[in-house]
Amino acid sequence: MTRDSAAPEVRIRDLTVVYKTPAGELPAVSGVSLTLNPGTITGVVGESGSGKSTLALSLLNAVQPPGRIAAGSVEIDGLGDVLHLGGEDLRRTRGRKVGYVFQAAQSSLNPLKTIGKQLLDLGRSHDVDDLRALVADAKALLARMGLDGARVLDSHQHELSGGMRQRVGIMLALVLNAQVVVLDEPTTALDMITQATILRIIREVHEERALTTLVITHDVGAVAEVADDLAVMYGGRVVEHGPITEVLGTPRHPYTQGLIRAIPRLSGDISLARALPGRPPTLGTLPVAGCVFRERCDKRMEICETVEPETVTHDGRTVACHAVGRPAPVKRREYA
Amino acid sequence: MTKAVRDRPRGTALARRVTGHVVRGLVMIWVVATISFVIIREIPGDPVQGMYESLLQKGMSPDQAERATAVLYGFLPTGSLWDQYVGYMWSLLHFDLGRSLSTPGVAVTSLIGSAARWTVLPVLAGTLLSFLLGVIMGVYAAIKRSGKLGDLLALSGSLLHGIPVYVIGLLLTAIFTTLWPILPSGGPVDVAFVPGLNAGYIGSLIHHAVLPVVTYTLASYGGWILAMKSNVVAVLGDDFILAAELRGLKRGIVFRYLARNAILPLFTILALSIGMLFGGSIFIEEIFNYPGLGLLLVNSISTRDYALMGGTFLVITVGIVVANIVADLLYTAIDPRVRSGEAA
Repeated sequence: MTRDSAAPEVRIRDLTVVYKTPAGELPAVSGVSLTLNPGTITGVVGESGSGKSTLALSLLNAVQPPGRIAAGSVEIDGLGDVLHLGGEDLRRTRGRKVGYVFQAAQSSLNPLKTIGKQLLDLGRSHDVDDLRALVADAKALLARMGLDGARVLDSHQHELSGGMRQRVGIMLALVLNAQVVVLDEPTTALDMITQATILRIIREVHEERALTTLVITHDVGAVAEVADDLAVMYGGRVVEHGPITEVLGTPRHPYTQGLIRAIPRLSGDISLARALPGRPPTLGTLPVAGCVFRERCDKRMEICETVEPETVTHDGRTVACHAVGRPAPVKRREYA
Repeated sequence: MTKAVRDRPRGTALARRVTGHVVRGLVMIWVVATISFVIIREIPGDPVQGMYESLLQKGMSPDQAERATAVLYGFLPTGSLWDQYVGYMWSLLHFDLGRSLSTPGVAVTSLIGSAARWTVLPVLAGTLLSFLLGVIMGVYAAIKRSGKLGDLLALSGSLLHGIPVYVIGLLLTAIFTTLWPILPSGGPVDVAFVPGLNAGYIGSLIHHAVLPVVTYTLASYGGWILAMKSNVVAVLGDDFILAAELRGLKRGIVFRYLARNAILPLFTILALSIGMLFGGSIFIEEIFNYPGLGLLLVNSISTRDYALMGGTFLVITVGIVVANIVADLLYTAIDPRVRSGEAA
């Protein structure tokens, strides 16, 4: 199959998403700017509540109430600003242009309909004329992922294993030839072998179809296997962003450093893995002024209390930290 | 090939399921029949014995009295309990429920048959109407739950659910037969019309059925709207609805996903309440003087007509048992998770 292989670029600019709470509107994502280079896989890591899923939903302008996109833009080549789409335009974009693999792909299927019927619903929703070809594409994709397409399409959700459902979710996101694919925690709740398979499939399909892919996860190890770029989120901000080998090899932001230190090594003493001190912030405990990470930071300075660090880009990497800018502290090179 | 292999055990599973249900249903009916037999026999002031003795006192010979009582009750009043029981079961197998005491000589089956006519249609109409109305309004109340209209609908549900059916019935009677007399206050049909397929008779039937049906609808509407609303809200929170939206499915299709999943649990309740309708609605039939099964049961209790009472109970039991079986099979048909034997 030939496709126009020009993968689109995705530019997120100054995106702010707020959630309405009894304490007022609190930002889950504040002023995030992130560029997904065409044809790359960008990983987003962060702890629970860091705003990564909210960021993922913003790419489809699908932030759910009580959340609301307060400011910013999400520009996708060929689509314009997704945040300005609404109604039918937005619906047609979802699924057709931007594929979304759901966080809980285990339960992202209608329990009462066979996968095949849901595939036809998808085709009809996007005015696919040749439904036979769509089914054939779906079977090919499923076969590509090591499944018996005919059998899967004839099954109900409960007849499939978790890994199979996840692959069905990926198939449904890709079958309409979307060129931007968002995967929200694609391997959570799967066993290690299935995880590895899914990640390999993501990488292969991504390269075959020349996609621009965003993978959201809290698992640094998982993302390291597939991503080209890595963005680290903390408290609703992207604190570091750059090519993955560099970000993981020479982490600059103290949070990234802490995150990497917290991973236990397969070889070596488990006590060397050190958990980050303190707790991840919640919407309510996020500091209003200054750096959001300062409470847990070992490089805390006076300026961190009052001034929020600006995102600074140099040699292809973006870091938001007052302590960076001096010679980058590269203490634990052995993790490279 | 895979399909054939998977379909075969599915077919036998269904057959096994149906057989199991029918067997269990028959056992249930037998148990209820036995209990009602024993109660009628063992109740203090045994009505059968009482009848027998009063016939003796009237000067009948023991033989004659025995036969007369046997005709009335459908089983022999003398002999061992076991013999009587066998006799009773035997006539049951022939759909003979004995004869009524309060309407002497009339078979219980024909009394129940004629009462059922006045119960089944109005209650069925009321049940289906309230189900439809409640389900539609429930979806609406769930979708608009943060707005005024949604609140109002939910409130109407709670309110109607809380008002006893006889209060609704009396209110409607007061409004539509006294304050604004446009509807008849009672009875199933105007006696002036000749029964049959003529416009006047049927019109009168409908005219008389309006109040009972509306009362029944209002009385059960509250339950439906509340149940449907909470089901829809629960399904709205399910991941697959958001997933369907994120796949860009048309609104109509997403709505069908939502509605089908939300309505599923209600079908069981619907089948059961259709089963219950054989019991009639005692209050409604009393208020509107509608000669249905509910009224028949009340009358049989007040006149201590035990044969009729036992028969009515048995009919109600059969209705509920059959409804249970239908509900389960219906669920099997519409929920694929149950169909393949996995607990939903």
